[in-house]
Amino acid sequence: MPAPDWLRDRSRSVRPLLGAAIAASAANALALIAQAALLASALDDAIFAHASARALLPALLGFVLLGGARLGLTVLTRRCGFNAGRRVVTAVRSELLAQVQRLGPQWLARQSSGDLITRLVDGVDQLAAYFARYLPQRAFAVVLPLAILAAAFPADWVTGLVLLLTAPLVPLFMLLLGHAAERASQRRWTALTRLGAHFLDALQGLVTLRLFGAGAREQALLAASSEAYRSETMAVLRVAFLSSLVLEFFATVSIAVIAVLVGFRLLWGDLHFFNGLFVLLLAPEFFLPLRTLGTLRHARMDALAVAASVQQILAEPVPARARGGGRVAQAPIAIAFEGVDYAHAPGRPALAGLDLRIAAGRTLAVVGDSGAGKSTLLTLLLGFARPQRGRIRINGIDLADLDLERWRQQLAWVPQRPHVFAGSVRDNLRIARADADALALQRAAAAAGLDAIIGQLPQGWDTPLGEHGHGLSGGQVQRLALARAFLRDAPVLLLDEPTQHLDAAAGAAIAEALARLGHGRTVLAIAHRMQHARVADAIAVLQSGRVVEHGTHAELLAAGAAYARLVRADQAA
Amino acid sequence: MNGRARLLWRLLGLLRPWWGWMALGMLLALVSTLAGIGLLTLSGWFIASMAIAGAGGVALNYFTPAALIRGFAILRSGGRYLERLVTHEATLRALGGLRIWLFARLLPLAPARTGVLRDAELFSRLRADIDGLEHLYLAVLVPLAVALAALPLVVILQAFYLWPVALLTLLLALLAGVLLPWWAWHRGEVPGARTIEQAAALRAAAADALQGAAELALYGGEAMLAARIAGLTADQQDARATLDGLQARAGALVPLAAQLAAAGSVLLGSAALRAGALAAPDLALLALLALAAFEAIAPLPEALAQLGATLTAAARVFALADASPAVTDANPPLPLPARGDLALRDVHLRYAEAAPWALEGVDLDLPQGHRVALLGPSGAGKSSVVAALLRLYPIQHGRITLGGCPLAACRGDDVRAAIAVVEQRTHIFNASLLDNLLLARPDASAAMVEAAVTAAQLDGFVAGLPEGYDTWLGEAGARLSGGEARRVAIARALLADRPILVLDEPTEGLDAVTAQRLYAALAPRVQGRSVLVITHRLGGLGGLVDTVAVMESGRVRRCAPAAAYPAASGSGIPEA
Repeated sequence: MPAPDWLRDRSRSVRPLLGAAIAASAANALALIAQAALLASALDDAIFAHASARALLPALLGFVLLGGARLGLTVLTRRCGFNAGRRVVTAVRSELLAQVQRLGPQWLARQSSGDLITRLVDGVDQLAAYFARYLPQRAFAVVLPLAILAAAFPADWVTGLVLLLTAPLVPLFMLLLGHAAERASQRRWTALTRLGAHFLDALQGLVTLRLFGAGAREQALLAASSEAYRSETMAVLRVAFLSSLVLEFFATVSIAVIAVLVGFRLLWGDLHFFNGLFVLLLAPEFFLPLRTLGTLRHARMDALAVAASVQQILAEPVPARARGGGRVAQAPIAIAFEGVDYAHAPGRPALAGLDLRIAAGRTLAVVGDSGAGKSTLLTLLLGFARPQRGRIRINGIDLADLDLERWRQQLAWVPQRPHVFAGSVRDNLRIARADADALALQRAAAAAGLDAIIGQLPQGWDTPLGEHGHGLSGGQVQRLALARAFLRDAPVLLLDEPTQHLDAAAGAAIAEALARLGHGRTVLAIAHRMQHARVADAIAVLQSGRVVEHGTHAELLAAGAAYARLVRADQAA
Repeated sequence: MNGRARLLWRLLGLLRPWWGWMALGMLLALVSTLAGIGLLTLSGWFIASMAIAGAGGVALNYFTPAALIRGFAILRSGGRYLERLVTHEATLRALGGLRIWLFARLLPLAPARTGVLRDAELFSRLRADIDGLEHLYLAVLVPLAVALAALPLVVILQAFYLWPVALLTLLLALLAGVLLPWWAWHRGEVPGARTIEQAAALRAAAADALQGAAELALYGGEAMLAARIAGLTADQQDARATLDGLQARAGALVPLAAQLAAAGSVLLGSAALRAGALAAPDLALLALLALAAFEAIAPLPEALAQLGATLTAAARVFALADASPAVTDANPPLPLPARGDLALRDVHLRYAEAAPWALEGVDLDLPQGHRVALLGPSGAGKSSVVAALLRLYPIQHGRITLGGCPLAACRGDDVRAAIAVVEQRTHIFNASLLDNLLLARPDASAAMVEAAVTAAQLDGFVAGLPEGYDTWLGEAGARLSGGEARRVAIARALLADRPILVLDEPTEGLDAVTAQRLYAALAPRVQGRSVLVITHRLGGLGGLVDTVAVMESGRVRRCAPAAAYPAASGSGIPEA
């Protein structure tokens, strides 16, 4: 759906609010015309009838009271419009977030999160102005000129004719210029988001830039991209402001023309002063809403650009989920990969015809060179991606037929790069189990060796942790993830080299804790180091997305093939 | 001067390089505003004069006013167009300049002073807050300058005709142009600041939702985070609603003041007319002048309601930029010897006043051309040695010397230029693989890049990439595995070709075979350089290092030839 249609579709949901805003501004238009008549008649009386101040008072009082009424109507219009914008922003943001969550971590890994954050927060915010200001103003820009035409024609048909003839030229020109402005707006939006991503990137790499003495170079790059943004934006604005120049020109010139025409007809006695002044007072107001609309035009262009970028995300194909079987696997759980193919991108296969079994309640270690497809096993089990061929059976049931949420509840996972959320240590553990009580938290922390670390933090359990877990070392973050897994207490445990950041002593302690945790559970452990693999019930050796060896440590060592080679290399390394 | 005023003053000072553009923009705004006032006022006078002339049958020079009216019309529309172009030009130039200024300020603060900020938060401050400063010039300074210049002119003109009308206009202008904006500023401060804070909180929550998506999906935290974002959106919209309502009321009060001034002008003028103190056409002039004059102050109340948000943004930008670097360079700095023995003596380091010591009396020698492995459990202080060496964090006690020259007496940039580092958490830029490598050395030849990539065991990976060196690596190297990212960092450090090479956990995320190949390939590459390898497990390093230093709780406990560590020589005995 083109972006304008999408916006129109959205405006349907806030139609009552927009209707109220438009009704209030129509009333405002009528009050304005009455005001012009009252002021013109007061001046007419004062100049030509030499009326006393007392005689003028009723008309002037009415003029001011109508002004008060218009104030109220203006505020009302604005409030209704604001609420319309608010509703749209709230709805679109939550839809967008839901879609991003449906698209899942696999899709997110390919996106720039700086760009997505900008779209989700600042981008969606920009929709508000379109619904809150632009749409009501667009309606007002139709209602008020029509009302003024209706009032001006009886008062002075020449003025009416001038207004009638100039008015259609304005939207015509705006339309002609608007298309160019709109294309330029799209470009500006792209430049803005790229600029944002560039900044985030440079900031995250501040330390790396310093280490390589590249700060000055990066600064020059940023200056160049800011400069490009400026010149692009100015190119847009030169066009965008041209449309308002046309408006401004028509508005002011027609006031001048009306003033001169009215003046001469007054001189010749063809027109009464009241009528002349009345239409002169109305003339600037005739074009004012159109001019205001011109200044709000950027709101429409921004909204169109946002609409396109929002639609693009909403239109991303969502990876297929459970086929609706909605079945649940009962613990203990056995896992079987049957002829699974998976490629991250065409031509870059990760798994090719993989067959692998993990018996219920047993531990399987998967070893192999970097890039052999070990992490992909976990990605598929976590349901972040689905096999392109073959199937994964959980207790004999195809994973695709399981209720994904319920399945994930049966998993605990220690990833390679755990995310540390904004919040306290406690919040960060509770991610794994929202209802965990203090005792459960304590136990999980102790089991993962996190308790000693928490003891050293300035505010203990309440210490705030930042993005990427500042204040925690890599090993400490790993312990945090371990503590989450302990807290999770799930029948299936997925480990992505959990001890890799830890020294031998701590690694041994964690390995022992994991052995306790793994007892009676089904464990899939990715191992880079062989001494963690050897304690597993079974070991599978992966090469180029295939299992080349499978057996116990002793069996595989005796076979003297791939595993034995890995062990030799590991001891040497 | 109170805090807010000082903030405003400082902001104006920062904008100084662009004052030429800004002043031109204000001048153009003044011209077009005055032309607009002139157009309406003169038109009123003109038709009243014509009507009176028509009624009385008197002759009137109508050519001059008619021409003036047309002149005002053209001046008004052309002036507006130029004004908008110039003011936006000024704003964008100033914004770009401010960003660069802030980046330059932040660079020496990393990581010691910027680490406490969350990255998304840091980003939101830079981008959005500086954008928010745009508001100051365009929406506050320009209308303020126009109002200050235009209103006295109007009042003087009115006084020339009828002083009570001038007085009334002055009074109402003070109400609508000073009191009302002041009130709007005052009332808008709290909700304005809140909208800024909530936008930052929203960005942080969005960052969590996106970057922590995997954990949230697994643990079923998606709904929780969606609820948090919805709650933050509601809070933000509440604050915006308050601000918007305030702006609507304040903005709509100005036209009412204009209408009061017009009505008052007619009342006062009609009395003067009857008394013969005022010519009849001048009454129309005064009434329309009063209506038009308030156009100059119309944007002020609404703009000032926003000023609170702008100043909040400014305060946060300054707070960020004003932190003093953790390590200051000696002045004047000593020249750093190009080569030499590196020595740490009794080095103490802690990250905060009350924090426990990360280094507590480290003694370590890295003689020129030697290779030392720094071994120890996580938390022993190995990475803190690197931080101290690179002068990223200050040491509280002890000294580090290179060729006998204390590092503290040299420029930090010179020190870092002598050391190539593979950081524990290196940043892979959102750029092509080649650009990421060239960061270390922009003038490197293709052969040099190739050699570094081969030594880092990355050649096979590059060969497998459809676009080779031009492959886009994505944000924070999202398209790389942990091991690949590590090897990109190693290639980068090798390319930098510096006398000292520091490798912080170089084989993290690498399988044993690759790690072994890496060490083997590194050995010939680092001939003649001093090398410090930091690791928590000593394996396969035998061919690379000649000395092993063991760290424990912030101190080097033992230091011995590598041969004394069987694990290092590859005999298969478990690691330290």
